Amino acid sequence: MITAVHVKKQFDKVLAVDDVTVTIKERQVFGLIGTNGAGKSTFLRMVSGILKPDSGEILIDERPVYGNPKAKADIFYIPDEQYYLPNATPRDMAHFYKDFYPKFDMARFDEMLARFQLKARRKVNTFSKGMKKQLSVLIGVCANTKYMLCDETFDGLDPVMRQAVKSVFAGELAERDFTPVIVSHNLRELEDICDSVGILHQGGVLMQKDLEEMKLNIHNIQCVFQSPDDERAAFELLDIIKADRRGSLTTFTARGAEEEIMLKLNSFTPVFSEILPLTLEEIFISETEVVGYDIKKLIF
Amino acid sequence: MISKNLFFKLVKQDFKKRIWCPILLFIAFILFLEVPMIMKLENIIKFPKSYSYDIRIYVRDYFFGADAAMVAAGVCAAAFLCALSGYSYLHARIQVDTYHSLPVSRTQLFWSKYLSGILQFFIPFLIHVLICAGIAANKNVFSMETVPFMVSYVELQLIIFVLAYSVSVIAAGLTGNIIISIMGTGILFGYSTFLSALKMTMFNRFLKTYVVYGQQLDNRMIDDKIWCFSPLSMILKLFSYSGRATAEAADKLFKYDDSYVWVLIAAAIVYTLAAYIIYLKRPSEAVGKTIAFPAIEPVIKTLIVIPAAFFCGIFFSETAVGSDRWFLFGLIFSFALLCILMEIVFRLDFRGILMHKRQFLLNAACVILIYLIFRNDVLGYDTYVPADDQLQSCAVSIDQLLPLSRDIYRQNGGRLYIGSDEYRMINMEIQGNPSVMELARKAAKEKLSYRSFEYYDGIEKTDLYIKTREKEKSYRQVSFGYKLLNGENIYRRYVIDLADAETLKLLSDIFNDYDYKLGSTPMFKSGWNVTFEAVQCIGNFKSDVIRLTPEMQSKMIEAYQSEYTKLTLDTVINTIPSGTIEFLKTTEEKDANVNHKGYEIYIGKMYVYPQFTKTLALLKEYGFDMEEKLTAEDVKSVSVTKNYDETQTDGSVQSTYSTGEWGEAYEKNVVEYTDKKQIQQILDSIVSDSFSWSIGYYTDFFDEQYTIELNMEDSKDELPYFHCFVSGKKPEFIQ
Repeated sequence: MITAVHVKKQFDKVLAVDDVTVTIKERQVFGLIGTNGAGKSTFLRMVSGILKPDSGEILIDERPVYGNPKAKADIFYIPDEQYYLPNATPRDMAHFYKDFYPKFDMARFDEMLARFQLKARRKVNTFSKGMKKQLSVLIGVCANTKYMLCDETFDGLDPVMRQAVKSVFAGELAERDFTPVIVSHNLRELEDICDSVGILHQGGVLMQKDLEEMKLNIHNIQCVFQSPDDERAAFELLDIIKADRRGSLTTFTARGAEEEIMLKLNSFTPVFSEILPLTLEEIFISETEVVGYDIKKLIF
Repeated sequence: MISKNLFFKLVKQDFKKRIWCPILLFIAFILFLEVPMIMKLENIIKFPKSYSYDIRIYVRDYFFGADAAMVAAGVCAAAFLCALSGYSYLHARIQVDTYHSLPVSRTQLFWSKYLSGILQFFIPFLIHVLICAGIAANKNVFSMETVPFMVSYVELQLIIFVLAYSVSVIAAGLTGNIIISIMGTGILFGYSTFLSALKMTMFNRFLKTYVVYGQQLDNRMIDDKIWCFSPLSMILKLFSYSGRATAEAADKLFKYDDSYVWVLIAAAIVYTLAAYIIYLKRPSEAVGKTIAFPAIEPVIKTLIVIPAAFFCGIFFSETAVGSDRWFLFGLIFSFALLCILMEIVFRLDFRGILMHKRQFLLNAACVILIYLIFRNDVLGYDTYVPADDQLQSCAVSIDQLLPLSRDIYRQNGGRLYIGSDEYRMINMEIQGNPSVMELARKAAKEKLSYRSFEYYDGIEKTDLYIKTREKEKSYRQVSFGYKLLNGENIYRRYVIDLADAETLKLLSDIFNDYDYKLGSTPMFKSGWNVTFEAVQCIGNFKSDVIRLTPEMQSKMIEAYQSEYTKLTLDTVINTIPSGTIEFLKTTEEKDANVNHKGYEIYIGKMYVYPQFTKTLALLKEYGFDMEEKLTAEDVKSVSVTKNYDETQTDGSVQSTYSTGEWGEAYEKNVVEYTDKKQIQQILDSIVSDSFSWSIGYYTDFFDEQYTIELNMEDSKDELPYFHCFVSGKKPEFIQ
């Protein structure tokens, strides 16, 4: 488990991370989202032991990470822009990391290189940005560390590769003790992979929750009321976040348990009603409104 | 994984990553080692007579000895390359993020890169040294005696490398930008040398009595009072001449000071540990910033801005021939400019120039304070004279009065020149003569100095200039060396006024002192066991070289010494010398420094006065009558040339003999006399101008308005020097 407690980091006069407290559970995909300059990368650099927090502490399985190679041995950090040795090939880079990560699986690396159609002996500096991202993910996965910290890793990947990488993560999660932490400012990128998310804004954490927990408490419903009076009465009864009507079809988002909402709705005997899946974006809008933030402006 | 294995893997990784570095050094060392060695060996083999040393000695003492200083410069450059290429990753965020996220301690990361950098230098260097040894062995000029020299040569260069390397690593650790790192390396590498040079130039500029001795033998870039903490100072000191005017010390020129090597080793260790601590403490977020530790920023700025401003002030002042106004302009202008530049460098932004106003004001106050201290000699440097009870002995050198320089010959060839002032300050020990300290105190109190003018055309005709220069005609300089009981040596150079009867009396007392004579002339020091073969004798009308047996030599020295030590200043000022003698050594060298008779002058002109009756008699006995005169019958004609009045760069006017490019003017000014009566009159009123060199500054019997050349009846008797008239004796027919 990764635990950050009241972590602060300031660069000159800029407070990059302000009193952040986050817990990242094992064997879960944790998404960290936020606007540009929110402190996501700084937080991740502190978690990976690059930066020392000004105050607070970051523990990896109860061990402080900064200046602690043993704790760092459980982490593989993929920065926004990965460094490759001059004139190195993917194989050279694998050998480079193998020296630091004793569990590095060379056979698997070769196999995955072939799967991702990356040539082992081609110089990395001739790779495209997306290919370099793929390579860094493959190296990270093959390093077989418990935690993998990905900073904007999905940026630059085409949709097919994004899915491929996600499936690799899913496979790792199923097979071993693996906890990826994915930083992004794009919610859509994370919604179908993250188990829990944290939102950073202006250096502080707005919230941290499990996605399933969020999904259980908010719902998107599509229905046709018998009359406008029924609709008004139903909306007064329900905790409506937003509503939209097109012809006779009404679509609304309401907070509360699914059974409770449907029970109240059915009391008006609508002509038609059904629950629609919610996007992560919609969940966040509703959740952050609770704490008084107009997240829509913040994130999108 | 065993940590030790990881360490060596890291070293290997780093070596592979920077493989270009050892390859580049391997190529560069060919130019520093093999090429000069082969060229020199070829030259020695082709022209063995041009070299005073054996080819084996070249390989042993020179190539693996004296020439180490030149190679050390290349080694320092290699150190900067290895350090900055190894630790430049600290200036690139993506590299810092990668390396510092890896499960490896900073300690291992630091030392692996450190060792890798050393190996990148050491492996190619060692290979080249072995190749050089192979080349020497191939030419049969490498012996077992050379092996220890070679080993210590490699050790020494390695120590120098580590010293320069660790300083460069410190610079890389302290900064967050490669350009600033390079500048930082330069500053850290030579800071104490710059301070030393600044101290000397500031003292020269502001303090009238400042003078330095002993450094001609060492190094003018090093001041004993400034702590040599920078590698450049240490390296210069290591290779500087450790000689102190003795033949034994001079022979050590080709060996570095073994005891000082330990200082270098200690410094290398201290700098390495400092580099390590800085590396450990350096925050990763320092990437891209000018300085990694903001707390030391004001200290660095102050340490750079203040000395640099004074350097610039001196530069402007020297450009404008010592002008105070230009010094102040340079100081103020460069101080303001440097402060602005430093703020821009530290902020990496033009908008930052007005930040830190308080520090600007504080530094400005320091600059003003330092300037005022020097300008007004607040610390009393010029007026300082040690108390009698602090003194062990004194040395005095009366400027341009019988100066006898000294060449020390080294066993393996070459020689070391020591000026007369330098020699006297090192060797003279006057004790119990109250006139010495009395003159020193009087001179320090009077604070006389030559006035400096800002020259312009026509200044020499102004009243102020004429009066000042007239007054200064009787000014002379005297150097004092105070050897204190605590072992310290203090030197001062005062201006005294010979027109002051009391000053002249005190000066005479010093000159007449036996210890002054003993210490002012290398010949009389027991350490100088001169064995000369001949004496070059120059009289007023005669010049010859006489060969002496060892017995004749000792008689000659004894007679001359006993009479010279009784010579008084009054005699020097008022008596025309009978001639000069110079002691000669035969030499097998055939270079330009050897005179035409195959002898080499060992010391310089020693004056013989009419009062030196024993010396004159001995010379006569050995075949040279110094007082022999010419008659008009011996001379075919006399050419009398009126010298030019040439305005010097300082506005003064000097009579100059017109020859060469002034040939046309010379033709107009030369008059040839063939009338025997006139010739006799001229012969009765002239003196060899070769006598004026060492005493002319204190006498007024040389009329240098004319140059007289005697054309002898017999060309064999031609004299190798000209004459001038004795003041007030110029015949009336001379125009």
